Amino acid sequence: MNAVVPGRTDGAGRRAAGSDRQKYLEARPMWKIVLGQFVEHRMAVAGLIVIGFFLAVALLAPVISAVTGLDPARQNVLARYQPVGSWEEASAYQREVRVERFLRAGDRRAFEDYLLGLGLPGPGVGREEVVFELVTRHEPGELRTLLRTLPEPGDPAARQDLAEFERVVRDFRSFHLFGTDELGRDVFIRLVYGTRVSITVGLLVALMAGFIGLLVGSLAGYYGGRVDTVLMRVTDALLSLPILVVLIVVSAIDLGKVLGDTPFAFIVDHQYESVIKMVIILCLFSWMQAARLVRGSILSIKEQEFILAARVLGARDRTIIAAHIVPNVIAPLLVAVTLGIGNAILFEAALSFLGLGIQPPTPSWGNMLHNAQDMVQHAPMLAVLPGLLILFTVISFNYVGDGVRDAIDPRSIRR
Amino acid sequence: MTAYILRRLVQTLVVIGLLSFFCYYLMTLMPGDPIDEMIAANPFATSADAERLRQLHGLDQPVHVRYWNWVKMIASGDLGYSRTYRVPVTEALGKSLLNTSILAGTALAFSLLVAVPLGVWAALRKGSRVDYLVNLFAFAGISVPSFWIAIVLILLFAVYIPLYPAGGTQSIAFGLGPWESLLDRVQYLVLPVLSLSFLSIGTYVRYTRAAMIEAMANDYIRTARAKGLSWNRILIMHGFRNALIPLITVIALSFSTLFSGAIITETVFAYDGVGRLVFLSIQRNDFNVAMVAFMISVTMVLVMNMIADLLYGVADPRITYS
Amino acid sequence: MTRPARRRIATAGIVLVATLAVYAFSRPGHLGGGAPPTNSRLTIGITQEFENLNPVIMSMSATAYLFRLVNRTLVTLDENAEWKAQLAVELPTLENGLARLVEVDGQPKLEADWEIREAATWGDGTPVTCHDLEFAWEVAHSDKVSIASVEMYRQVEEIRIDPANPKRCTFLYREAKWNFNRLFQFYVLPAHLERPVFEAYGDQPEGYEQHSLYTRDPTNPGLYHGPYRITEIKLGSHLILERNPTFYGDPAHIEQLVIVLIPNTGTLEANLRSGSINMVSELGMSFDQAVAFQARVDAEGLPFKVNFKPGFLYEHVDLNLDNPLLQDVNVRRALVYAIDRDGLCDALFAGKQPPALHYVSPRDPWYTDDPDRIAVYPHSRREASRLLDEAGWWMRPDGYRYNAQGERLRLKLMTTAGNKVREIVEVYLQDQWGGIGVDVRIQNEPARIFFGETTRKRKFDGAVMYAWTSSPESIPRSTLHSGMIPSEANGWSGQNQPGWVKPEVDALIEELEVEFDADRRLELARQIMDHYTGDVPVIPLYYRSEVSVTPASLTGYSLTGHQVHATDHVERWNLEPVAAAERGAP
Repeated sequence: MNAVVPGRTDGAGRRAAGSDRQKYLEARPMWKIVLGQFVEHRMAVAGLIVIGFFLAVALLAPVISAVTGLDPARQNVLARYQPVGSWEEASAYQREVRVERFLRAGDRRAFEDYLLGLGLPGPGVGREEVVFELVTRHEPGELRTLLRTLPEPGDPAARQDLAEFERVVRDFRSFHLFGTDELGRDVFIRLVYGTRVSITVGLLVALMAGFIGLLVGSLAGYYGGRVDTVLMRVTDALLSLPILVVLIVVSAIDLGKVLGDTPFAFIVDHQYESVIKMVIILCLFSWMQAARLVRGSILSIKEQEFILAARVLGARDRTIIAAHIVPNVIAPLLVAVTLGIGNAILFEAALSFLGLGIQPPTPSWGNMLHNAQDMVQHAPMLAVLPGLLILFTVISFNYVGDGVRDAIDPRSIRR
Repeated sequence: MTAYILRRLVQTLVVIGLLSFFCYYLMTLMPGDPIDEMIAANPFATSADAERLRQLHGLDQPVHVRYWNWVKMIASGDLGYSRTYRVPVTEALGKSLLNTSILAGTALAFSLLVAVPLGVWAALRKGSRVDYLVNLFAFAGISVPSFWIAIVLILLFAVYIPLYPAGGTQSIAFGLGPWESLLDRVQYLVLPVLSLSFLSIGTYVRYTRAAMIEAMANDYIRTARAKGLSWNRILIMHGFRNALIPLITVIALSFSTLFSGAIITETVFAYDGVGRLVFLSIQRNDFNVAMVAFMISVTMVLVMNMIADLLYGVADPRITYS
Repeated sequence: MTRPARRRIATAGIVLVATLAVYAFSRPGHLGGGAPPTNSRLTIGITQEFENLNPVIMSMSATAYLFRLVNRTLVTLDENAEWKAQLAVELPTLENGLARLVEVDGQPKLEADWEIREAATWGDGTPVTCHDLEFAWEVAHSDKVSIASVEMYRQVEEIRIDPANPKRCTFLYREAKWNFNRLFQFYVLPAHLERPVFEAYGDQPEGYEQHSLYTRDPTNPGLYHGPYRITEIKLGSHLILERNPTFYGDPAHIEQLVIVLIPNTGTLEANLRSGSINMVSELGMSFDQAVAFQARVDAEGLPFKVNFKPGFLYEHVDLNLDNPLLQDVNVRRALVYAIDRDGLCDALFAGKQPPALHYVSPRDPWYTDDPDRIAVYPHSRREASRLLDEAGWWMRPDGYRYNAQGERLRLKLMTTAGNKVREIVEVYLQDQWGGIGVDVRIQNEPARIFFGETTRKRKFDGAVMYAWTSSPESIPRSTLHSGMIPSEANGWSGQNQPGWVKPEVDALIEELEVEFDADRRLELARQIMDHYTGDVPVIPLYYRSEVSVTPASLTGYSLTGHQVHATDHVERWNLEPVAAAERGAP
């Protein structure tokens, strides 16, 4: 770490104060300074690690699902509200469905012949019924043992099918790390998918809100005058609204009616309609802080001598904006976006908690809490876990935001 | 000074007017109307009934006409009639407004009482272990979902360790003396106040700390120390006084979050306050109640912003209004 | 003293003060869970909002629950789902001669004589008379009063009061229908108090309801004639009632009732366990919660009884028959076959809510499950798959079914957001229909939108899940008659949401309405059920059960399972052993 941030220890500081200080400063680009500052904020780094972890979980959700054999939508009403860390066998119905899926997923004739050849599952069973009967006649545990003792099939197709079938049968039994919910769905995998939804909503909202804020803020800041007055009054007015109340109203609005025949009509009826709706709604009411920040920094930069100097030197508007204003605006915007992610996650959770946000069966941390509400005294973990995840994620984003702010704050930069 | 206040007042009034239309319009965008609610609850109601009622309530008119009627009604000093409760809005709102003020006021006082000393303490020990812990606590405060903390508090202190009632506003009991009924109210307030305070404590601690660090870094602190003033005096007269300015802004601005927070807190704790009432009236399309509550909240926030601006002058002699 | 030592003492001090504060404000009474309730007071928790108790104007279900504590109606439906005279001395029927078929201007009409109990008086001593009936009837006919449903009143064309005895009157009914005497929502209003208000404000829109004494002076004893009267009402919070000394029947056992509104079901349960409430009404716990609570009660021996009673609420899925995909009866039958209703009821409801075969409840005398009379669909995935294969929907390797055009078999399933049980059932259905290759999309809406727009105006293209409420032997005209398909043309009236058109059923319904012979009615009703189950315009799911939690010591209480709640026999509720109460009596 010292290689990147030589100014970190006292020894290095003293060295930096030495004769080659000038050269040293020149050699150190801005981002390195900022990075150095950021790394000093231990909690921010920890936050970044946590976020990285959650991002990985979100991205790898399908992989986790495949590896563990768990499915966020798969329910088993015979095993509802299972305690933390329990094993459970799929119901007969579920086994039948999964076997049917297996049979329909390809040509299984070779496999069926192979089983018939072994005299399984018993005399007088037609070829179509072979696999079904095999599963219905044996308990899953028994079946697993049986499959292990079968001889290797000669036919390569049958060999492949057998392996596949073994996997299907193996997945009849599943382990519920965090127990199951009101429909017997695995809480762990739902939390994983919930991470995906909640973080996606958070990221999208913050990025889009940041963009709107940048647009509004820079228009207001750069043009000033009447544009500024109007835009800023709108911003202030929106800021004075009780946001949650407005969100409750807006989330009740029928998207189909508003979008009508516009090109956005595809959102209605989309599988993730409620997610998209949530993102749009949250965006509409969370860009104001960013806009104010951007405007503020543009105003302060506009008046500074180096802009004047640049202008006197003949720099065009475009150059001034690109070379001087943008870099100075990016920093506060970055902070606003990072903090915005946390806020968006909280708002999504609050709305979903009230039953107005993400709709089932898509899991999000907020609607898992909503579902857990009734049974909180009987199954407290269902309520505690999603809340903890929200807390960890949001606190991490807030720490990172804080770290970024500290790092780019010119007053706290130590060279 | 007076001119400034007047100008601000006029601006504020214009914004309130515009926002009232904005809110009214938003509410009409919600599908359904109050009649649907009545009809849905009654299996015997027919569409003829719905038509009759819609006409009776003037719901067959366009938005701007309805809005204008509403404005005229408000201007005449009548806040209207709640279709949900079938009582005048003042009656539906009055009691719960008071309850929410008690809840929010207590929460505000409590969080300031906790947050300001913590913030100052952390600022004076910047970088120490204390600072880290206080910071962590503050960050947790602003990051925790308020409904979750409410659920956890109920689980902990009403179910597992039954110290406080799990929800409600006050006991329905008779023959309580003034002291007992006050104590009873306090018991019901403890958990909601705690849950509502988490967020604001977090916010205030962070601002107090930042403002205090900034204030204490000023040269005049060094000067005052050099003059030999007592440490406490420096802390209060020079450090804290200057740290107050940003804190006031934050407190003024946080009124809108208190209100939003109240919705969830009151819903979970079954507290009879205005937040829950607003939530219900929105869900039931009870325009009159929701609009009045909206207006109260918006006005409060805007007025608070104004007051914050004015208070700057008190806290910072360098600011003048012209 | 050293610095660390001082700090330690300071810390200890803070902790001490904090602990003291916690204990000072806590209520140790909560630790014990509260003493068992006695007949001096019973505190009941409800989760739904209530309004003022003007019976003609009330529209919330919680108000309907509370109403029966303070007021009564001519006729009621008792806990065994039988029609009984309540305020009336006797139910008029053709058989007992109190009702007569008449002809007025060539129209067949019906007349019935009603007599109000002699002892029935309002709380201020004024007798309840036919003038009170007439006044309610007048109010209901005003177009300046917002009353949700006026049908119950408007079927009566004229009320003739006996000049000699105002307790007696004759109703002239607009049409001659056999169910004319089931006036359980024909309320009485205290004319001696309310008529002046109505005369003063009745001509302003909503004027009467805003000035009604039920709004302005709700604790006026003259407004109530039931077993209890109101001593305190705080909307959005609570209601306190005391025994009404002028009640015409046996005086109630419990002196005081306190009804507390706790909207959050989790909080409600916490309050029950801590003893701040003694009982949870049928408008309280979610079904799931009640089942779990029952397990707790059994395991920990808590002093509560969890009551379940199957009722007349029929949960079902309406299919939009205008959807080409659902026009094929084989597809609809496959959808029914695919659902394991017994499994659903066992697994999700612990067997406490019975699976449904059709819209008639097992508690209804018209009910039948005879496979010779109606079509019955036992759970069978294979049968469902076979029917879908036959209908031309083939399963592809992705597990979904497609038709020859390559369209996926897709269904949008909607219900009310926030209704826990429905949401669970919905996901269960999604899973089971997914099992036969149907791609089910869920889209839920708040009840207001769902009932106000989506179902009322048939704005759904797939399936909607909700409940119909009915009473025993109710005629399914509004739900099954083809004239009751909501459309722009008929002003969105009717509840035939599937859009089911079956001329035979229309004819049967029309016949059923005017058939005065009970056996013939039964036959007609069963024929309708046969058409209904054969054609599957609607997928039956289950009959909802009412749940409530009562103190273990409460006797005389029985859930009803229909719109007339258990509060209708509140005077029989008793928290003390019956023998002891009798010994105390002179």
